[in-house]
Amino acid sequence: MKRIVSAPLFVLLCALSLAQAASAAQTAPGADQPASFQQSIYAPGILKPVDSALAVKIGDKAPDFTLPSISGGKVRLSSYQGVKNVVLTFVPAAWTPVCSGQWPGYAIVKDVFDKYDATLVGVTVDNIPTLYSWVTQMGGLWFPVVSDFWPHGATAKAYGLLRSDGMAERALVLIDKQGIIRYIDVHDINTRPDLGVLIEEMKKLK
Amino acid sequence: MKRILSISLLMLVLTAASAALALQASEAPQSRPIPEGSAFPNLKLSGNLSAEQAAYLGLAASDKNPRLSKIKAPFVLLEVFSMYCPHCQREAPAVNELYSLIERRGLAGAIKLAGLGAGNSLAEVEIFRAKYGLLFPLFCDPELTAHQAVGSVGTPYFYLLAKDKKTGAFTVKLSRLGRMDSPEQFLDELAAAAGLPKAGAQ
Repeated sequence: MKRIVSAPLFVLLCALSLAQAASAAQTAPGADQPASFQQSIYAPGILKPVDSALAVKIGDKAPDFTLPSISGGKVRLSSYQGVKNVVLTFVPAAWTPVCSGQWPGYAIVKDVFDKYDATLVGVTVDNIPTLYSWVTQMGGLWFPVVSDFWPHGATAKAYGLLRSDGMAERALVLIDKQGIIRYIDVHDINTRPDLGVLIEEMKKLK
Repeated sequence: MKRILSISLLMLVLTAASAALALQASEAPQSRPIPEGSAFPNLKLSGNLSAEQAAYLGLAASDKNPRLSKIKAPFVLLEVFSMYCPHCQREAPAVNELYSLIERRGLAGAIKLAGLGAGNSLAEVEIFRAKYGLLFPLFCDPELTAHQAVGSVGTPYFYLLAKDKKTGAFTVKLSRLGRMDSPEQFLDELAAAAGLPKAGAQ
């Protein structure tokens, strides 16, 4: 009897592994999520829409930072000066529902950002292994994703975007090629910002 | 007996594994799909359709917020999607192919195709259209009003709707979550549900 039960169990594990592998094999960078991705998302419930006080304003020089990237190496904000406009996309945490929807949407709009000579830089307060796993599971992204884990949330704090629970706000900060902040949207953490509004702001840079 | 039991369990396991692979959708925890045979809400639609797209649905191009019942067609296939849903991104070329296949099979007069961008603004819907070169009309739903009315379903979700000639109201003929296996097979399913010829002129 033991053999009868253990053999199908082994087959079950193999079959599920196969299913996951097949699902992963269908993954195209930036355009897919394995079936298991959504089953891994943690639902935090409804949170206080905004839980911080901005420390920067439109017209300010954007606080510089150097943060480790999930692709290795570091990203320094000021290295984009004179080269590209930058949109910092702060999201509260990896493996949460709205964040796990927001960036996969950005995955298909590289051409839109190219049109306005801009790049996204994704920022969360998660550590590199967590961020790496999350972004890999969502199918990869075309823009750099950096970790503001240590000193914890220091960059988010410099912008006034660190919440009292240690997460970052869901925020977009548009910085022009001179390093000047041109647009800030500290969004309701529970909802996704309209990409159309950001595009209108990027249009104004030209 | 032992062998029969083992084979049965093996079959069960493989079926479960293939089912897990088959459903490719962003599931919604609050989903309450409208069942087949039930009345479908007369949605207030919102979009910026071209004159050609409006004519395809029999709508006045000047009407930016037409009711669903204004669509002039025996059947409407409504895809609930989101530009933020990776499964919808992958499904987009197949839906475009389905649109062309409906025409090639001579069913363009019977089944009209339209998309509803759940939680998507007009700009986001247009980004999605441009990205995948979508040919059929898309409507936006930034506040998720229509999405809630159709059961807060996961995406992509397909409703085949049949129009009552007298009242103009729509009834659900087919209701399903997830990507289609192929446009050809899905159109066969749609035709069967609508009572239309399976294969027409190709």
